[in-house]
Amino acid sequence: MTSLLKIEGLEFSWGTNQVLKDVTLDIGGNEFVAILGVNGAGKSTFLKCVNRILTPAKGTVEISGENIADMSLMDLSKATSYVPQSVKTSFSMSVFDVVMLGRRPHISWRISDNDREKVSETIRFLGLEDFAFRKFDRLSGGERQRVIIAKAVAQDPMLFLLDEPTSDLDLQNQVSIMKKIRRIVSDENSEKSAIVAIHDINMAARFADRVLLIDGGRIKADGTPSEVLTEANIADVFGVSCDIVPEEYGWGSLRILVKDEIEKD
Amino acid sequence: MDSISERHIEDSRVQVTIIASICAGTLLFAIIAMGLGSSSTLDSISTIKIMLGLEYGSDLQSAIIWELRFPRVLMAIIGGAALATAGALMQGCLGNPLVSPLTLGVASGAALGAAFAIILGISIIPDLAIVANAFLFSLAVVAIIIQLGNMRSVSAESYILVGIAITFISGAIVSTFTYFATDAQLSQLTHWSFGSLSRPSLSNVVWISAAIICLMPSAMKWAWNLNTLSLGGDDFAISSGVDPSSTRRNILVLSALMTSIVIAFTGLIGFVGLAAPHMSRLVIGNDYRKLIPCSAVFGSFLMLFADTAGRTIFAPVIIPVGIMLAIIGGPIFMYLLLQNRGVSG
Repeated sequence: MTSLLKIEGLEFSWGTNQVLKDVTLDIGGNEFVAILGVNGAGKSTFLKCVNRILTPAKGTVEISGENIADMSLMDLSKATSYVPQSVKTSFSMSVFDVVMLGRRPHISWRISDNDREKVSETIRFLGLEDFAFRKFDRLSGGERQRVIIAKAVAQDPMLFLLDEPTSDLDLQNQVSIMKKIRRIVSDENSEKSAIVAIHDINMAARFADRVLLIDGGRIKADGTPSEVLTEANIADVFGVSCDIVPEEYGWGSLRILVKDEIEKD
Repeated sequence: MDSISERHIEDSRVQVTIIASICAGTLLFAIIAMGLGSSSTLDSISTIKIMLGLEYGSDLQSAIIWELRFPRVLMAIIGGAALATAGALMQGCLGNPLVSPLTLGVASGAALGAAFAIILGISIIPDLAIVANAFLFSLAVVAIIIQLGNMRSVSAESYILVGIAITFISGAIVSTFTYFATDAQLSQLTHWSFGSLSRPSLSNVVWISAAIICLMPSAMKWAWNLNTLSLGGDDFAISSGVDPSSTRRNILVLSALMTSIVIAFTGLIGFVGLAAPHMSRLVIGNDYRKLIPCSAVFGSFLMLFADTAGRTIFAPVIIPVGIMLAIIGGPIFMYLLLQNRGVSG
């Protein structure tokens, strides 16, 4: 099976501060990959390098066998869609028009009925009908985050790159959004995958097929949630003690009960 | 088709109707404006009839129509459309509502060129001294913008700051020139800086119109890129397939060219490029596919209205359009902004 995303020896620095160090990774179709790590570990930088928002100092990133450095931005945005942590708006548009921007890579100039239907369908899928024609800048932080996720879904890419997509959402919407991303990724007809940078390790444990633990710009652990989310790894990377208990509610296989921070010597 | 798609189509229809209505209103006002002036025998109907060859006009009447009124009205329509479009483009690509076509220093460059011609008497084309200098110095600013755009990771703020720097430097040089200028030169330079539609001849206006009409489709070509850039900034644009650096550079060069072509002939006219795009945003929103044509027709209307008011209210004294735009447009602009804020809460 060919890789959807293949990364070899990826390195990135901000000046003298090396943020990503020799990251090598292979992701196939229908994979939900969660990236965990402390603030500043390099999660967002990693996602931005995959989407060419940042240019790596070293290494290669290939999507479906094609080096992203050789792809046009338009072709790359047909293959990937990126949800940033937040969007600063200069001039606002209606929610419908913002989601329509996801169709930009597929539109030359005129909006087709198919594009309109696709946007409409995405708005319904993410439950945005009630404010589909409200101005984006008049929405709450959580509503805006859902709209930007909808824009990414309307883009119809093979690979979703989501940077803390639930950080502004209430509990219900956190679960709802993760379930919807899970549903898109699980569709075996499409072979779409998602890489989600997230701080909630229980969400990662419940929804992800695979967890990448990033520490100091390197991949410290890579595997299924039960392989990666061990008491030792969590203590080592996050500096907190925890108990790992079996999951009883039918989602994922384990739950992490965080107890306390570990005092450093 | 579902209700959400139908609502979107309906909203688009309403927006297109609004643009068409402003366009029709502007054309109607242009006909009225053609009939206004000191010649009592030339009302709007007679003017149009003479222009269409349906009525005989004396040599004097023909001269008034073809050498005075028509160039002036056409210049108002084309100049207003160009400056408003340039303003809308620049606000979007720099993500800043305070930006106008004069922000990048194009106008300061033009003023410096005019000062060289008026005070030092230096010009490459002596017959068109002020216009040629103003245009060439504006183009020098465009060249600086292109050079800046070729540099790696230049931000929107960099363009604005370089524009401010150019404005200060040009202003300082013009001030130095004026220190040594005669009263007549000072008066000429001051009058040039007011901005007036009476300067370009009919052939000038035809050439200006041809250039602006050729550049307008290029403006529309950038509408989608501007939507992504103005909504979410650089990272958002890249993730939507838009290269922010090349988009910004190309749009700024296009806007600066449109601005240079107009102000080289008219002198400094600033307000329409700031106000018309904002008035259009209040009416039809920020989708650049509609905002660009709406700003253009709004700009034409504002310029035409201000110029007509300027030459009729205190007739036979003519107040330059640059001054009238600020006097009339300023309060309307503030009213619309404040009213919109009140409605939106």
